[in-house]
Amino acid sequence: MYSILGVIGTIIIGFIVSLWLPGLERKLIHARVQQRIGPPISSPGIMAPLKFFFKQTIMPYSPLPRLYNSLPLIGLLSVLFIFLFTVPETYQLGAFASIVAIVGFLKIEEVIYVFMGSLSKSVMSLRMPFPDLAKGAKHPNVQRSFLEDISAMRAFRLIAFGSFPLYIALFVPAVISGSISLGDIVAYQQVHGPILFSAAGVIGAIVFFIGYMILLNEYPFVILKAKADVIEGPYMEYAAKWRALVYIMRGFLMFTLATLFSVLFLGVPPSIFTWGILVNILVAVLFPMLMASFSAFAPIFTFKQFYPVTFGATILGVVALLAAFI
Amino acid sequence: MDKNVIETEITMGTVHSAAIEPYRVRLFVEDEIVKDAEITVGVNHRGVERIMEGLPVEKANSLTEKICGICSGVHLWNSVLVAEKGLEVEIPERASYIRIIVAELERIHSHLLYLAHGNEVLGHETFSMRLFYIRETVMELLRIIGGNRVQYGVPIIGGIRPRAELDEMKVQKIREGIDYIRGKVKEFADRFTSDPMIMSRITGVCPLNRKDALRLAVTGPTLRATGVEFDTRKEMECYDPFEFDVITQDDGDVKSNLLVRVFEIFESVKIIKQALKNLPEGAVVDRSWEMQDTDITKSYVEAPRGTLYHSYALEDGRVRNVVIRTPSIANIGAMQYALIGHHITDAQLGIVQCDPCFTCTDRAIEIIKRR
Repeated sequence: MYSILGVIGTIIIGFIVSLWLPGLERKLIHARVQQRIGPPISSPGIMAPLKFFFKQTIMPYSPLPRLYNSLPLIGLLSVLFIFLFTVPETYQLGAFASIVAIVGFLKIEEVIYVFMGSLSKSVMSLRMPFPDLAKGAKHPNVQRSFLEDISAMRAFRLIAFGSFPLYIALFVPAVISGSISLGDIVAYQQVHGPILFSAAGVIGAIVFFIGYMILLNEYPFVILKAKADVIEGPYMEYAAKWRALVYIMRGFLMFTLATLFSVLFLGVPPSIFTWGILVNILVAVLFPMLMASFSAFAPIFTFKQFYPVTFGATILGVVALLAAFI
Repeated sequence: MDKNVIETEITMGTVHSAAIEPYRVRLFVEDEIVKDAEITVGVNHRGVERIMEGLPVEKANSLTEKICGICSGVHLWNSVLVAEKGLEVEIPERASYIRIIVAELERIHSHLLYLAHGNEVLGHETFSMRLFYIRETVMELLRIIGGNRVQYGVPIIGGIRPRAELDEMKVQKIREGIDYIRGKVKEFADRFTSDPMIMSRITGVCPLNRKDALRLAVTGPTLRATGVEFDTRKEMECYDPFEFDVITQDDGDVKSNLLVRVFEIFESVKIIKQALKNLPEGAVVDRSWEMQDTDITKSYVEAPRGTLYHSYALEDGRVRNVVIRTPSIANIGAMQYALIGHHITDAQLGIVQCDPCFTCTDRAIEIIKRR
C-alpha cells in the first residue's frame, strides 16, 4: 500500500512539474533571448491544454480518425510507463525496470509519429480549387502528396538514425555498472558515486542531451515539424482535447527524459519519500532551459546538417561506451 | 522506371506558415528533392490599374501607394514621376533630396524586413525578432517625416507634401537613427556570417548563376547577387549628386542574396548621410505647373526589389492606359528555377531569397479568348 501511494504520488508530482516546463522554456529563455515579453509561464503547458479540453472536438481529415486521435494517448501512456519504471518502488518488476524496456517504450513514442504523419490528411496540402489542367500548368497528372506524408517519411528516418545518440547514451551507465537493471545502476552509483562524474559519464551525458533534443524534435532538430515546409507535421489535424494531449505528452516526455538522466547518470531516482525528487525536478527544469538556450540560436537543420550532427553524436556515444568498458 | 516521370507533388499554399502572402507553390519531388516547381499567384488581385483608369491624376497617384505595404513610397514616387515627365514639371532640388531620403529609408526597412523574414523561414527566430526591432527605428523615422509608418505619401506632383519638409530636429533624428541602424546591422552581419550553422544552411542553397539570371530577366538585388552590376539608380538623374556603390555578389545563392541586402543597407545609409549633409535650401514644392494631355509616359525607378515600371497617359487631367510592372513578377521565374535540385525544407527559403512581394505583383489580367 505504501509503495503504491509512493508511485502514485511521484507520478502526480512529475505530472504537475511537467506542465510548467514548456512555459519555463518559452518565457524564461526564448522570450528573454529574443527580447520580448513572451507568454505567461502557465500558458503553454497548463492554460493552453486546459483551453483545448473545452473546445469543440472536430473530427480530423484522416482515413482512420479515431486511431489518429488515440495516438497522443498511446504516446502519453508509453511515456508514463517509462516514468513509472524509473520510480524505485517498481524496480522489483525486474525486466520492466531495465534499459531494454525503456528503449522499447521510447520506440513506441517514436513510431507513433509515423502513424500520425500517415493518417493525417490536412486541408493545408490541398490545391486551390482551380484546376491544374489549366493551359500552361506543369505536370498536370502528378499524384498529390499530403504535407504530413513527408513528416511520416522523416519520422522513419529519425527512427533509423536520429535516435542512435540517446540509445547509446542510455547504455553507458549500463556498461559502467555492469547491469541493465535500473535498480542495479542506482545501487552502483550509491556506492561508487554518480556516473556523471566519470569521463565516460560526461561524454555520455552530452550525447544524452543531444539525443534528448532530437527526441523532443526541438530546434535545430525540428525537421519532423518544420514550419518552412510541413508546418505542424504529424500534429496538423489535432484539435481540442486531442491537441491538449499532444501538449501534455510533450511536457511529460521532457520531465521523464530528465528523470531518466537523473537515474542513469546521477543515481537519484524520483520518489516523494526522499529529498532526491528535488534533484529530479532541478534536472527537469535545467534540461529544457539548456535546450532552449541552444535552440534560440539555431536554424532548422535539414538532413544535410542533421546527418553529420547525428553521426558525430553517435561516434561520441561510442567513445563514451569504449571509455565505460575501459 | 522512367527517370523523367515525376511521381509526387507537394503543394504549399495559398495559406502556409512560411509564406507571409497568399500564393501557391507546387513542388514536384522525389525523395524530398525538388525536381520542378510552379508558383501561382492570382488570389490577391485588386485591379489597381483598372480602378486608377479615369481618375484625376492626383487621386490615381495616391492610390498607387496602396499597391504595396512595404514599398508604398516608391510606387507613389514612380507614379508621380510619370506625371512630372509627361507634364515636363521641374521640381525643386530640396524636394528631390527629400524624396531620395525617403526612398532610401524605405529600402532599408524593406531589406530589414527581408532579412527578418529570411531568418524566420530559416528557423532562426531570435535573429528574426532582433531584425524586426532594428526595423522599428526606420519605421519611426518614416513616421516622423510623413506622419505614417506605411503610406507616408511624401511625393506629390511638383515636389513633396509640405508636411514632409525636414526641419533641423527631423534632420537630427534621421542622423541619429541611421547611425544606430548602421551599427546594429553591422553587428548582426558579423554575428550572422560567423555562425557555422547558419552558413551551412544558406551557402550553396538554391543558387542562380549570372547566365540564368539574365535569361530569366531577373531584376534588383536578386540579379546583383549573381554578379550582374545593374542598378536603376545609376540611370536616374536625381541620384547623380550621390556617390554610392552597386553591390554585387558572385554565387546567387541564399547567402549572396542576404549579403547583397545587408551591404545595400550600408549604401543607403551612405546616400542618406550625403543627402542630409548637402540638403539644399528653398521650397519643397512647385505648384506652377499646368495640366495638359500627354501621351503614354514611362518611368523606371529602383524599388527595394528591383526595377519598378509605371506608365500612363493623361487626358483632361485623368489617367488613361495605366500599366504597372513590379519587380517580383520578373523574379518569379528565378524562384521556380532556383529550387530545382534542392531539399523541400529549402524551397521556401529559395523563394524568399528573391524577396517576393506577390501582393504588389498580383495585378495582371490575362484574358483567354474562346475560339
